[in-house]
Amino acid sequence: MAKMAYRKERVDRGIKARTDDIFALSSFREILYLVLPRLLVILFLLPLPLFLGTYWQKVMLITLVIALLALSWDLLASVGLVSLGQALFFGVGGYLAGFLSTRWGWYPLFTIPAATLAGAVFCTLLLYPALRLRGIYFGLITFALPLLFMRVIEATKILGGTEGLSSLPPLPGTTIELYILLVVALGCVFGFRRMFDTDYGLVLKALRDNDRSVEAGGINVQWYKAQAVFLAALPATFAGAFLTHHYQFVGMPAFALDYSILPLTSVVLGGAGSFAGAVLGACILVPLSEVLRAFGTLRVVIYSVVLVIFVVGLPEGIFHYLQRKYHQFERLVPMEEVSNGARAGFKGY
Amino acid sequence: MLEVKNLIVFYENALALNDLSLSVQPGEVVGVFGSNSAGKTTLLNTIAGLTWHLKHRELRKGGQRITIAGEIKFAGEEISAVKPAERVKKGIVLCRERHPVFRDNSVEENLRLGGYMRKGSEIKVMMEFVYELFPPLARLKRKKAGMLSGGEQEMVAIGMALVARPKLLLMDEPLLGLSPAMQKEVVRAVREIRKQGVTILLAEQYARPVIPVIDRGYVIENGTLVVSGTGAELLDNPEVRAAYFGIEESR
Repeated sequence: MAKMAYRKERVDRGIKARTDDIFALSSFREILYLVLPRLLVILFLLPLPLFLGTYWQKVMLITLVIALLALSWDLLASVGLVSLGQALFFGVGGYLAGFLSTRWGWYPLFTIPAATLAGAVFCTLLLYPALRLRGIYFGLITFALPLLFMRVIEATKILGGTEGLSSLPPLPGTTIELYILLVVALGCVFGFRRMFDTDYGLVLKALRDNDRSVEAGGINVQWYKAQAVFLAALPATFAGAFLTHHYQFVGMPAFALDYSILPLTSVVLGGAGSFAGAVLGACILVPLSEVLRAFGTLRVVIYSVVLVIFVVGLPEGIFHYLQRKYHQFERLVPMEEVSNGARAGFKGY
Repeated sequence: MLEVKNLIVFYENALALNDLSLSVQPGEVVGVFGSNSAGKTTLLNTIAGLTWHLKHRELRKGGQRITIAGEIKFAGEEISAVKPAERVKKGIVLCRERHPVFRDNSVEENLRLGGYMRKGSEIKVMMEFVYELFPPLARLKRKKAGMLSGGEQEMVAIGMALVARPKLLLMDEPLLGLSPAMQKEVVRAVREIRKQGVTILLAEQYARPVIPVIDRGYVIENGTLVVSGTGAELLDNPEVRAAYFGIEESR
């Protein structure tokens, strides 16, 4: 070629390539490379509740609740089910916990796990017929269900009607609550990420890609999707039950639109499909919205502008961007120089 | 008419086209032959501008980094930086592989959509030509394109490209997945289209059915030009015979 032309090449760091393999265990540096990002997050989050004032402790609590809902949304989206109604899981979990403690006077120690499990089963059964729907149609059903429950409770006056269920037994204190939520949220992040690396996760990922091919592979699509809905419902119903006992109250706002929209925006901001991105998004959005309270009415405007800037400027999500920067570097190479993969005839496309 | 010089395309770090140069004279039918992953589709997509489009889309979402370098000249004009829609206006029309038609629209609507950039009177003339070229389509006019067989869909796809009034028609594997009878039909259509003065660049894996209609052919392998020449010359090359024409040398 006449003039020297360069192109930007993206290359995996050497240490990334090494840690992909079993050799990761052979050196301290490689172990650190794998563990450090995870460890930093844990070491940052664990002592955090101790340093926060009462107000910011509440903010962190809401953040973690939204993070759990976002995790649930991300899991559903990873199976190809786009949910617009996380409030369904949240509200069902909340009301079940409230019902169990007012009717039978159970302690939170029992109501929360019971409401989590029963709520997840209930939601799965409820959504089971809708699982054959794809894309936006499933989203519409999930969007309608929380609104439906809200009106049913209002009209029939069951479960306290518009007044809700109040004076429920309290939890032992915000700091302990935060630690419980933290453990559950981190457990979900690492657990879900791990699950998606197994063969079971492979099926779930394949469902999003092409569920007809999965069906052709002799796998019962409906049944696997139901399992995914159950797994995804768990953190969300837990969040609902937990917040019910935190407020010692559950009412119609448990089915509010906020609990559907905020998790979704968190995942979009943080990066879908990675679970860590969901939590990261929630950790940015909820505190941001609190900080912006100082701006009064302009709060929503600034909040929206920040959201738009990130979604337009970084559509892959913050987490995926950071991850790429961590694993890869870029360099300029002359056009003539072809990387090894290309020379071997690998097209990679 | 078309002059491609030192075209290089990288998908991330994978080289799809390696310093590829070729030219197409007005009125010619030129074949591009190569196996899977040889770079045929990339070549055609790059000429039509789709790779350019993909590059910008991927750049926006931080995905694959696509590098395009080299010159593409159409009618003496450099078009590497021209948007795909503008290229269609200039007369470069791509008929994509696997006959992607608008499934829920009728055949007629599909054809009309293909010529959306052209004037109404032009569309009518071209549609008449398409119905003449593929008589079955005239019968299926009102049917949904998704209901048609693969061969009929291929006819619709070629028809859509024709209604856009191409000067240079790029055909990406027009014989893919067709029965031998249908292949003959498409080859006949290529001959007819050529009589209308349309220049054709045609990519195929299996060269045998199209060899009678092409003036010249290029064989590419891993993005690199291996052999070029007239149809007869390609047929004489023993390696090419074995690889792309399915003719084993008898001892």
